Amino acid sequence: MVKRLLIANRGEIVTRIIRTCKKMGIATVVVYSEADANMPYVKTADEAVLIGPANPMQSYLNIDAIINAARKTGAHAVHPGYGFLSERGAFAEAVEAAGITWVGPPPQVLKSISSKSHCRKIANSLNVPVIPGTLTIVENPAAVIEFGNSNGWPVFLKLDKGGGGKGIERVGGANEAKKVFERATRIGELAFGSGACYLETVVDSPRHIEVQFLADNFGNCVCLGERECSVQRRHQKIIEEAPSVVVTPDERRELFERTVRIISKIGYRGAGTLEYLRSREGKYFFMEINARLQVEHPVTEFLTGIDIVKQQLAIASGEALDLAQSGVHANGHAIEARIYAEDPETFVPSPGTIAALTFPAEDPKIRIDHALKAGNSVPPYYDPLLAKVIAWGDDRADAVNRLKQALSDFHVEGVKTTIALNIKILGSPEFQSGNIDTNFIDTSLSKAHPGF
Amino acid sequence: MEKSVDAIMPGLCARVVVEEGDKVSIGQEVAVINCMKTEISVAANFGGRVKRIISKEWDELQVGDPMVILETDE
Repeated sequence: MVKRLLIANRGEIVTRIIRTCKKMGIATVVVYSEADANMPYVKTADEAVLIGPANPMQSYLNIDAIINAARKTGAHAVHPGYGFLSERGAFAEAVEAAGITWVGPPPQVLKSISSKSHCRKIANSLNVPVIPGTLTIVENPAAVIEFGNSNGWPVFLKLDKGGGGKGIERVGGANEAKKVFERATRIGELAFGSGACYLETVVDSPRHIEVQFLADNFGNCVCLGERECSVQRRHQKIIEEAPSVVVTPDERRELFERTVRIISKIGYRGAGTLEYLRSREGKYFFMEINARLQVEHPVTEFLTGIDIVKQQLAIASGEALDLAQSGVHANGHAIEARIYAEDPETFVPSPGTIAALTFPAEDPKIRIDHALKAGNSVPPYYDPLLAKVIAWGDDRADAVNRLKQALSDFHVEGVKTTIALNIKILGSPEFQSGNIDTNFIDTSLSKAHPGF
Repeated sequence: MEKSVDAIMPGLCARVVVEEGDKVSIGQEVAVINCMKTEISVAANFGGRVKRIISKEWDELQVGDPMVILETDE
């Protein structure tokens, strides 16, 4: 087993990973930028290394600086968290080349699945339905027009290497094709190093359903259930829960079976998530692979009692999975609210300084993942995620009420947060009845609350 | 007259979408700021021709930092 782990990330996920390491007796090394010198974990980790200025390009995205920090501190393994370098094949390769264990899928797997159209092709070849669209790259606006004219408008033009809710462009009609195509390819080249795009038809009232899995080096792949993440703003999740109110036991079995088929085919190792869209008619379409620990993993941990970070470390250490599919049990209901540093009505980011902080009372049925401290700054250079509040309940209503209460008792002063929005979502009759899709915030919530 | 189009949010320069010599009209997007991973469009509030590009991708920005210099119409 890993003895000394470097965590190549910042914010709440660092605190989260340290928690498991302490339980397992693993020493921790954290890295931080000049903007993060006052993060609470810089003091609580066994070692902390300054890796560069606030600018993420020179710190958290700086492969050489992180490898040097690992060498200097004698770290045996690197956990990349999520975002930053977590799915970068070149980083995984550099870690392994330095003789350090990479906590994640093999570098060559990361490289091949970084192309979304490649993943669509694999799924299609395994008879797993993908969102109807192209399996190859579209070369020009004329191809977009031809696709839209024969499949109906609007269509989605997606960047092959896009991610994080970016690189998804809606094309309303033939007249927009040229403009949108040129913008998308330009943004792709600038932001993701590739302007390649593919096309998808629009799925009516889609619900976002994803399957969390663990795969080891010995061909074992176990699914830890689904999470529903349909409540989103700007294609980014804000509320996640499990189990989903719409997934039937038969559908769940089918989704698990599809997931194992894809994961086994690509030779994946570690924890990961397969994202699916569910149409209004109840059809499930494969969307993409998230080759990392996900922000919303605590939902599954609360529901199953399985520590996903512990499993990641065991798999990376070469151990076989110590659990079988029949040993995974979902108990009750779990739901997470992401608290972002944003205006709750306009979603405009709100960097600043945390003037004051009040947490909800401690409760074994509430988990709060964060790295907040009064007086600390919320820099404009990083993700707006401030904290995650996860509630467990005997059933969905119980979990939702507990989460709502905890959020009402959570106060952050100095920056705007989405707490008020989270409370409104959880209190809306549409959400409570489970009648949600990825347009929920734009449609249902706007109707229910004219202020939005 | 030279006038600058300035950063309206703190963050990182995501990209400048005009080139030197381009004609820019009022309200046209000239640059994009990445503030907490959200893309914020920066538009010119006057028309002109692009004289100089100041910002490049990954530059750190504070509110008011000049990103693009225009030679204004008036």
